[in-house]
Amino acid sequence: MLTFILKRLGQAIPVLLAIYTITFFMIRLAPGGPFSDERKVAPHIIERQMEYYGYNEPLPVQFVNTLVQHVKLDLPPLTSHIGLTAADIISESFPVSLELGLWAMFIALMLGIPAGVVAASRQNSWLDYTPMSLAMTGICLPTFVVGPVLALVFGIYLRWTSVAGWAGPIDRMLPSLTLGLYYAAYIARLTRGGMLEILSSDFVRTARAKGASEFRAVVVHALRGGILPVISFLGPALAGLVTGSFVVETIFQVPGLGRHFVLAAVNRDHSLILSTVLFYASLIMLANLAVDVLQVLLNPKLRYK
Amino acid sequence: MRLSPNISVDPEAPRSLWADAFQRLLDNRLALFGLGFFVFISALCYLGPFVYRLNPDSQVLALDSQLPFANVQLVEVRYDAEKATPDETTTLDDFVEVYAKNPEADLAALAQSGTLVLGDIHFRTLSRFHLLGTDSKGRDILARIMRGGRISLGVAFLATLTALVIGVNYGLISGYFGGRVDALMMRVVDILYALPFLIFVILLMILFDGFRFKILLVFIAIGAVEWLTMARIVRGQVLHLKEQDFVAAARATGVKTFSILTKHLAPNLLGPVIVYSTLLIPAVMLLESTLSFLGLGMQANMASWGTLIKEGQESMRSAPWQLIAPSLFFSATLFAMNFLGDGLRDALDVKSDKD
Repeated sequence: MLTFILKRLGQAIPVLLAIYTITFFMIRLAPGGPFSDERKVAPHIIERQMEYYGYNEPLPVQFVNTLVQHVKLDLPPLTSHIGLTAADIISESFPVSLELGLWAMFIALMLGIPAGVVAASRQNSWLDYTPMSLAMTGICLPTFVVGPVLALVFGIYLRWTSVAGWAGPIDRMLPSLTLGLYYAAYIARLTRGGMLEILSSDFVRTARAKGASEFRAVVVHALRGGILPVISFLGPALAGLVTGSFVVETIFQVPGLGRHFVLAAVNRDHSLILSTVLFYASLIMLANLAVDVLQVLLNPKLRYK
Repeated sequence: MRLSPNISVDPEAPRSLWADAFQRLLDNRLALFGLGFFVFISALCYLGPFVYRLNPDSQVLALDSQLPFANVQLVEVRYDAEKATPDETTTLDDFVEVYAKNPEADLAALAQSGTLVLGDIHFRTLSRFHLLGTDSKGRDILARIMRGGRISLGVAFLATLTALVIGVNYGLISGYFGGRVDALMMRVVDILYALPFLIFVILLMILFDGFRFKILLVFIAIGAVEWLTMARIVRGQVLHLKEQDFVAAARATGVKTFSILTKHLAPNLLGPVIVYSTLLIPAVMLLESTLSFLGLGMQANMASWGTLIKEGQESMRSAPWQLIAPSLFFSATLFAMNFLGDGLRDALDVKSDKD
């Protein structure tokens, strides 16, 4: 297991390097820069700024310098936030995004898995059709339709929550629900599929034959195998949560990393863009690794390979 | 298999894969409904403007946020009577305030004959019916939805086509040549799968914001993200097909590799490619609209459904129909496309690596 983890971490290095290279040249070749201001600034000031931020070196030297800074985690100062580094921005705003993502995932699992289990254990009854039609609806409705409509109903008509913001605990509700509903729907479908396969297998029949109650047969014996498809979906789901958070943070004006990323690109803050992209990429790869490890732990067929 | 009784079937006659698939599709009500709705939406967006002739860009600020089914009275102002397009379109109130010399008499005259000349200026009354109301700038919502639909569908088709061309070619080559080439090419796909692609797309859209051919960039960006799964599906299919006798026969009789790929393998890929493309179109529409919603997609005069939903969200407090109308059109189209794609997948019995 340890060699597996180490090998995967080793494979991540060239991928991160590729991401760094693509991003570095993409932002450098794009029109506009951090010093192209509408105001007229004296040329010697721009020169001083360029020197301070390391822009006066040749591009290949900057490429290497910035890479070394990222490897040492000694990040350069930002052009859009005086005196701060990307580490400050990320450590301030990422916890907000993380909390949003965790709530969304919690909602998705709490709604999706029970719905899928019930649907599978009562196949072709109304208890199957109702949650599965709802799940189809949840998959087809885009986040940016669900969010405003929820805000309209709960924020404006019912006045249960505020329309936007991230101040009190009640403000967490709508963004988390908006982000979580799609995944709840997807997880419900995956759980149903996985459970249907497991429920017809021999060991569940044995459990039933030995007199296990229906609840025990389904929840204790079948569920562990039945939710494997859900576990393997968690990796891609996390990548989706990251991009989903851009939309949700925009709709509900949540001060998370997604908004900072969009603003950094608008302000042409090269080093903040670069650090954020690398941060997101590492996060997604670590999550994928964690999901793979979890899969091996849950699935005895994979354990001995 | 159930066949409708009015079709006479000769039990001896061979039925092709496609006839079978078509029959299965006809038996699937949801898929047929999806197909029907998709045809309806396309007809509405492309042919609707010939019937519902309001200009989606015509702004009358005084008539902002009219409710659905609003019937409004307007006055066209022309400095030259012969001109086809009016110099200005204004409301009756504005007419009284700005142009009328003797308000009551002028209004009465205008109401009676429909036209009026004051000095050199020609006025003509005009009544306009807004089926779905107007937006916050007084533009007709249905007209904007029809044009937004053309843009959303157009982008979706072209981006899907981009993904299709890249994916099919990549998968064909990787699967057919196999061995080291295959291993290398699939490793590249695996790495690209691990990349947070949408972050790059968003970055690309922001950085090249002022770019003139941004619509082209949207195709390329979306097409470049979506080809990976297509490449995998095609490769899997080719791995299976190339072991079959007809390929061996073609190779044995000296058919060139290029011809084997294009004439013998490609036609056999049609089924899975059609199925996956049908499912890809709604995915691409969703991606394009997400970009537009974030304000990163098309420019203002090319408002797609995502842009309309975003504008609707901004004014949902006072005018909720501005949000609800485009949202309904967009969601219903996504539903229909997904039903159709699922139906085609069942009909052609294609195993997908999704779900």
